[in-house]
Amino acid sequence: MLQVLLSGLATGAVYGLVAMAFAVVFYVTKVINFATGQLLMVSIMTVSGLSAIGVPVWLSIVAGIALSTGFGVAIYYGAVAPVLKVDRTGFGWLVSTLGVAIVLASVAAMIFGPTSRAFPALLYHHSIRLFGTSTTWQEMLAVIVAAVVLVAFEVFRTRTLFGKVGMAISGDPEMATAVGANATAYAVIAFAIGGLLAGVAGVLVGPITFANPYLGDTYGIAGFIALMIGGIDKPAAAMGGGVLLGVLSVVANTYINSQASDWFPFVVVVAVLLIAPHGLFASGNLFARWLGRGRRSAELALPAVRS
Amino acid sequence: MSEHASPALTVEGLSAGYGRFEVIHDITLSVAKGQAVALLGPNGAGKTTVLRAIMGMLRHRRGSVIVDGTDITAMPPHRVARGHVALVPEGRRLFLGQTVEDNLRLGGLHLRHDKERTEALLRSVFELFPVVERYRSRPVTAMSGGEQQMVAIGRMMMSAPSLMLLDEPSLGLAPLAIQGMADALGALRERGQSILLVEQRVDLALQVCDHVYVLSGGRIVRQSDAASVDAQGRELIDAYLG
Repeated sequence: MLQVLLSGLATGAVYGLVAMAFAVVFYVTKVINFATGQLLMVSIMTVSGLSAIGVPVWLSIVAGIALSTGFGVAIYYGAVAPVLKVDRTGFGWLVSTLGVAIVLASVAAMIFGPTSRAFPALLYHHSIRLFGTSTTWQEMLAVIVAAVVLVAFEVFRTRTLFGKVGMAISGDPEMATAVGANATAYAVIAFAIGGLLAGVAGVLVGPITFANPYLGDTYGIAGFIALMIGGIDKPAAAMGGGVLLGVLSVVANTYINSQASDWFPFVVVVAVLLIAPHGLFASGNLFARWLGRGRRSAELALPAVRS
Repeated sequence: MSEHASPALTVEGLSAGYGRFEVIHDITLSVAKGQAVALLGPNGAGKTTVLRAIMGMLRHRRGSVIVDGTDITAMPPHRVARGHVALVPEGRRLFLGQTVEDNLRLGGLHLRHDKERTEALLRSVFELFPVVERYRSRPVTAMSGGEQQMVAIGRMMMSAPSLMLLDEPSLGLAPLAIQGMADALGALRERGQSILLVEQRVDLALQVCDHVYVLSGGRIVRQSDAASVDAQGRELIDAYLG
């Protein structure tokens, strides 16, 4: 059981990072970048391709993450900003980011071929014994990185002026602009962070999945489901959803059958949406109230009614 | 008369609206330095639209907006906010989920590297509103409407703007809170702050302001010095306000 839990945590950490990549972008811009999974693929294919032609592994990792970050920014300028300029409240980005996702996967398949390629093993062959179970350092690394990213992001968001401006833009972009915040610059940064997180997730999972141009679909969907389970209003909630989804997927694979992780997450999402429509870790739902945070959330939901 | 030589705000021939719908037409008004000016008018007259257009939140169709000698007509709002104009919008729109002090500091965003100036501005807010200092580390949602209005005015003060815009600050406040707010605006004017106040309450506007404009159907239909508004003038304004 512990073995399953640990394996689920590692899978969930990667899902969580992808979910956070979705959530950071949504937090600032209220746009869902449906090419987020493909940004993970861009980083994986870059690392795989570069290391195959003899580039040092560390350098290809840096290049892979840098490229996915750059692609994140390019998606904002190429597929999101022009659409929002025409209609700030429309849903054109839904089609344009999905289009980018298809193009990225197709181009990757043309360059690298449709079959899986080798990916540097990194720490995958270094195993570690933990509480009587055996796991790899690569999986442990995923858990550690996810935890560090989560804590660093929350500290940054709530403790620095830069992060507080981000919170202000998230809550009321127009008013934030009226106090001098440059919402466009924050949107660009959010897409860059989204690309960075997806790229990091790619490096973490690459040694396990190998490099395949269609990986973006798998992880994009998993990340999106994790986002729905955790809650879309806070990036930290998305990470919670990712971890839960990872554990549940591995549990389903182990205790139901090996195909169960394909359908089980959807059952979980439906159940979650019925119980807590805004996500399990979102403010103001049943689960949050059980955790004793409900009162504060309820206050937040009723601004400025007392006089 | 020298103060009239360089007005805090000069709006000339301003027209603006939403989509194809033009809401305000050919607005010309000015606020002299250190003056408080009221913009009165009934619901739907376009008062908020005038403020939004000055702030750069709406694309202008025609006209110009000059603040303290700087042409801000084509400036994006986040640059207008950097020391030129600050706004207390209708309903305050504080940053919920953040503390009172965070809200204030977010108001002084463009001065964030000037620590001394920021602290001095923070002190001047606390001087004007001691209750705000007492609640500085509380979430803004824990405050009453009147106290939240003080935070909104404080947030505006933090950017040390050439011109302050207030959109119906008395709306939804208890009578005592309204008087407190009027006193605060009076104190700001005493300090030489230029203010453009949108109000529905004529008595409040006349108490605080030097000059009044009346807006109806998106056009300025009347203007007058506040001191010269006698009972008859008051009746006329009331008639416009419906």
